[in-house]
Amino acid sequence: MNFAYAELLSALRPELSLVVGALLVLAVDLPKTKRSLERRTHIACGMGAAALLAALVSLLGVGNLGNIWGGVLVLDTLALVARGGVFGLGLLTLGITAGTTRLRNPAEFVAVILFAITGFALMAAAQQLLLAFLALELASLSLYVLAGFDKTRAESAEAGLKYFLFGGVSAAFMLFGFSLIYGLTGSIELPEIARQLALSGPSPLLLVALVLVLVGFGFKAAAAPFHLWAPDVYQGAPAPAAALIASASKLAGFTLFLRLLWPGLGGVAGGGNGMAGWITVVVWLALASLLLGNFVALAQSKVRRVLAYSAIAHAGALLLGVIAAGWAGVAPLLYYVMTYGVATVGAFGVIAAVERHQPCVNLADLAGLRTKSPLLAGCLMVFVLSLAGIPPLAGFVGKFLVFSSALQAGCMTGWLALLAILLSAVALYYYLQILKPALVLPAQPDTATRIPVHPVAAITLVFAAGLILLLGLWPSLLLGLF
Amino acid sequence: MSPLQLCLLLSSLLFCVGLVAAMARSNAILVLLGVELMLNAANINFIAFWRYGPNPEAGTGVLFVLFSIAVAAAEAAVGLALVIAVYRHQKTIRLASINRLKG
Repeated sequence: MNFAYAELLSALRPELSLVVGALLVLAVDLPKTKRSLERRTHIACGMGAAALLAALVSLLGVGNLGNIWGGVLVLDTLALVARGGVFGLGLLTLGITAGTTRLRNPAEFVAVILFAITGFALMAAAQQLLLAFLALELASLSLYVLAGFDKTRAESAEAGLKYFLFGGVSAAFMLFGFSLIYGLTGSIELPEIARQLALSGPSPLLLVALVLVLVGFGFKAAAAPFHLWAPDVYQGAPAPAAALIASASKLAGFTLFLRLLWPGLGGVAGGGNGMAGWITVVVWLALASLLLGNFVALAQSKVRRVLAYSAIAHAGALLLGVIAAGWAGVAPLLYYVMTYGVATVGAFGVIAAVERHQPCVNLADLAGLRTKSPLLAGCLMVFVLSLAGIPPLAGFVGKFLVFSSALQAGCMTGWLALLAILLSAVALYYYLQILKPALVLPAQPDTATRIPVHPVAAITLVFAAGLILLLGLWPSLLLGLF
Repeated sequence: MSPLQLCLLLSSLLFCVGLVAAMARSNAILVLLGVELMLNAANINFIAFWRYGPNPEAGTGVLFVLFSIAVAAAEAAVGLALVIAVYRHQKTIRLASINRLKG
């Protein structure tokens, strides 16, 4: 068995460097010193970024190993790309944290971010229900703490509590579903579950289990009708925490459920032949998310809530991608969710940079951003237009790939893809509602005249905007990995 | 009725009681209790399926339950911390009156 432990240890080097990094961040900040808060924030973020870079490097060193530890973990291309994406989105989040936030306990914030990213990385590689559950809970518990981290604001604590209560209930749903799957198949390993299900076929109890698991999935993806937490959390949480919840958490969640639904439960997908299966449930979730997200976003007046409802709409499109992944492979979905993550982190980064100098709650607060800070206005334009899906930005390519694969996948998803394309026109309206004050309207008289941007935040935002443009012009940079 | 069916009946009942508590209660701590009941209902399932399943010597179900109890404890710790954080600001833990965030 010793050999297997060595293999596990070497395969989990990225996660190890993250955990060691988190502990070091805490240890360095522990002694009472006279360092200013800003300096402590920079030290913590710098060490966190170093740990993430070390994780990225060791990820490349580990490479594509296949099944590890008797199939508990699988390090295939999907896991490799998703873990790399999670680390990259984590780096962007830390860049925003360093340049914009003034939290009282920066080291703890960075350490919890690193723990959350460890959870995401394990989620992306888990091939067994127990590890999937533990990774999901490690990530979720860290995110609840991050959402409620700003102790000076009542909104932050409230966002954390709401996120926690919804998340706790959905975790219980998922655990109950896992227990039923274990009971029906006698195993918690996904390949063995798939084998047993192929022998026994669908049963009523299995349908109950599928629905329970999909409730947990819907919560993680912020799909309607399990989206209720999203607007409040996006609004109340500190900006870097909201960015992480909206980006890396989605990427890891979709990777985990992609693995759970297709290789694990693919035999009971249903769909085409009129059999009941999980595809029907996912189609309804996608439909509800697309309609609710796009139409409710129209009525919002707060920047972060617009982003939250747009996230719900994007979750609907991503669920289409999950269904289509059974036919078209995982590349379109992964491309979509990664570029969506970069754009969302960027948008939250701009909000955070503005918030440092003036309130940035309502859409009207963005007025005159063009004159106050051309850099922020330009970056915001790139991110928001990418979310809207305007070529040549990455958001357009992502939508194109997912919708075209959904059109090929089958009748039901084809109609849904057409609806999603129509709703993109609706979405353009509320995205332009964000850009109109930022780019066109004059500044309100009683606000800051200039918004200086911290160099670290500026570099992060420009890098993210460049990434969006680059991936939009050369999608094969990312698609070629699959 | 076989013992397995009785166990599943019990766990389903417990799950529903927990869900009703989580949905209907207004006190944040009672909602937390409801969530714990739901998690424990799943634990009963795991134990029952392990005990009456085809190969009880593998011990998968019991292991799963041990981990999930630990996770539930961690979840309770985080949850209570958040409840305290909310109480410090708003002096209440009634969910109906914790509504600063809205559209």
